[in-house]
Amino acid sequence: MTSGAIQLRSVFKAYPRWPAGGRTIHAIAARRAPLALRRTEPVYALSDVSLDVGRGEMVGIIGANGAGKSTLLRLVAGLGQPTRGGIDVHGRVAAVLGLGQTLDPQLTGRENAVTAAVVAGTGRRGARSLVPGALAFAELEHVADAPVRTYSDGMRLRLAFGVIAQLEFDALLLDEVLAVGDLAFQSRCMAHVQERRASGVTVLFASHDLSQVAAVCDRALWLSEGAANASGQAGEVVAAYQEQARAKALERTPPPTGDGGELRLRDNRVGTQEATIDRVSVAAPAEPGAGMTITVDLHPHRAGIVDPIVAVAVHRESDGVTCFETATRDEGVRAGPLSGPLTVQLGIERLDLAPGSYRIDVGLYRNDWDEVYDFHWRAYRIEVPGPPVTGLLVPPVTWRVLPG
Amino acid sequence: MSLRMGHLRDVVVHISLSEVAAAHRFTVLGALWPLARQLAQLGVLVFVFSSVVDLGIPDYPSFVFVGLLVWGWFASGIAAATGAVLDRRHLVFQPAFPDTMLPLIAITVALIDLLLALPVLLVIVTVSGDLRPAVLIAVPLLGIQALLMVGLGWLCCAAAVYLRDVRNIVGVGLLLLFYMTPVFYEVGRAPEAARWVLYLNPMTTLVEAHRAIFLRQPAPSALALVLVTAASLLTAVVGLLVFRRLQPGFVDEL
Repeated sequence: MTSGAIQLRSVFKAYPRWPAGGRTIHAIAARRAPLALRRTEPVYALSDVSLDVGRGEMVGIIGANGAGKSTLLRLVAGLGQPTRGGIDVHGRVAAVLGLGQTLDPQLTGRENAVTAAVVAGTGRRGARSLVPGALAFAELEHVADAPVRTYSDGMRLRLAFGVIAQLEFDALLLDEVLAVGDLAFQSRCMAHVQERRASGVTVLFASHDLSQVAAVCDRALWLSEGAANASGQAGEVVAAYQEQARAKALERTPPPTGDGGELRLRDNRVGTQEATIDRVSVAAPAEPGAGMTITVDLHPHRAGIVDPIVAVAVHRESDGVTCFETATRDEGVRAGPLSGPLTVQLGIERLDLAPGSYRIDVGLYRNDWDEVYDFHWRAYRIEVPGPPVTGLLVPPVTWRVLPG
Repeated sequence: MSLRMGHLRDVVVHISLSEVAAAHRFTVLGALWPLARQLAQLGVLVFVFSSVVDLGIPDYPSFVFVGLLVWGWFASGIAAATGAVLDRRHLVFQPAFPDTMLPLIAITVALIDLLLALPVLLVIVTVSGDLRPAVLIAVPLLGIQALLMVGLGWLCCAAAVYLRDVRNIVGVGLLLLFYMTPVFYEVGRAPEAARWVLYLNPMTTLVEAHRAIFLRQPAPSALALVLVTAASLLTAVVGLLVFRRLQPGFVDEL
């Protein structure tokens, strides 16, 4: 069998569930002992999932929180055994499943890098020799001798991934943790993953970042409540998932009330309305090279909304081509607890879009993207003035004729 | 195979040293703390049983210190080994990590504490004028104790994953066992009819054996030593088998 190949044959994973209240003396005495001690119906975290991944393939695993993505990765990593079904993994497996919990906060980044390598299966000598490479990959050389307790989440992730990047393996399992890193690091990780794939490493990648899954994965598996909802070419699976998410958001959108001006619920406005986008003002650019500012006023309608994500997308009006998308979370911006009205502003220094008409989407999401609070679809229009040009962009250009 | 064994050794040595380093980092006394703790306990026992109640044992400080070090490794090692899996959940969730080594790590960390106190013991024994080559016999004796501890560690840490009460049970058990081990008294002081109870505890024989080589106390019988060795070996084998049996469910229970 080729090393790196991964097969899941009709895998079920049930977790034992104990009666509420657990196995305390009190619970045992309160109910009849046999009842309190008996396990109740198990919870199925995965049911009947099959997957066949060939050497060098990259498969994305998508689905809402609790859909079984992490359970699947754990089982492939050999942590725990499937309740039914079989899993074959050929070759050595490396995994980034958690956010560097193996790191000891009191010890330095350098010491922790050695430990991480030893824990991942390297000998002590080998572990010490790969530390410089790991620190360089993580760009943490300047803080290598500071205790890890002084590191941010992003730095811990970089250290953990930096070590993994130095190891030899046939299959790599990546859980959602990569999202903690900044964009530059994420793209460096992805570049490294692609390099590894070129040399035959198989990759399983669980993610909430659908566009990334569509872009980098060959295939995708969509899990829904532990079952495989769809599996196939990544772009198609992601599209199906997004379609369902839209339908779900529409279903959860309250019926229209008649006001709201241009915005009509269940038409160009969807979302649970647990928090709403009350006003969006767009300062459109006066010329292609000018900037644009979008100011979004948010309003919570229930307590407990923390760090909601605000996203903006700009599409060309004529054909709906998406020019760009951006979200607070992608830039590492946190809105904090949404306890009252809040204003979020997006500044775009240079828009550089070709003259023409554009439509803007503004969305407000739960902090894990899993719930749409309010989404205004193509609700705002801007006009970039200027003579018409071919193409989408008018970036600042300089032509020079260089002497031969 | 030898490569694999080499890696298991690397895992135990590296993680143990890291944990000791982490425990003492940012403290002023650093690695002297375990020694300070042992000396404090020694001071109390020596004061109580030579000034308050005189047991009349010659060279009492070194007598107690030998017992205290040997027992101290056992007690702190078993207590730590019982929580070895529960406390190192993050390692259990690492795909390539050998869980079997977890109690060994806990016991090695406790052994390092013991080794840090060893120079002080050697000084005390030298001052009382009795340092002989025979002290090297301590090494195989510690080996037998290690077997016993690892076996109990495997049993307890695996059981503790499924029934968290095991930790408390072990805590109470160690407290009682301290008084059933001749740390601050001689077995000879116990009523003859009750002595066999003390010898059910393998630590009794081991403590006496250490005293025989460090302090010229009467040595335990060869039969007792053979029995303790066999019991330790058996505990280790049973412990490993039980651990292996329970290990696949760890991830689900943690």
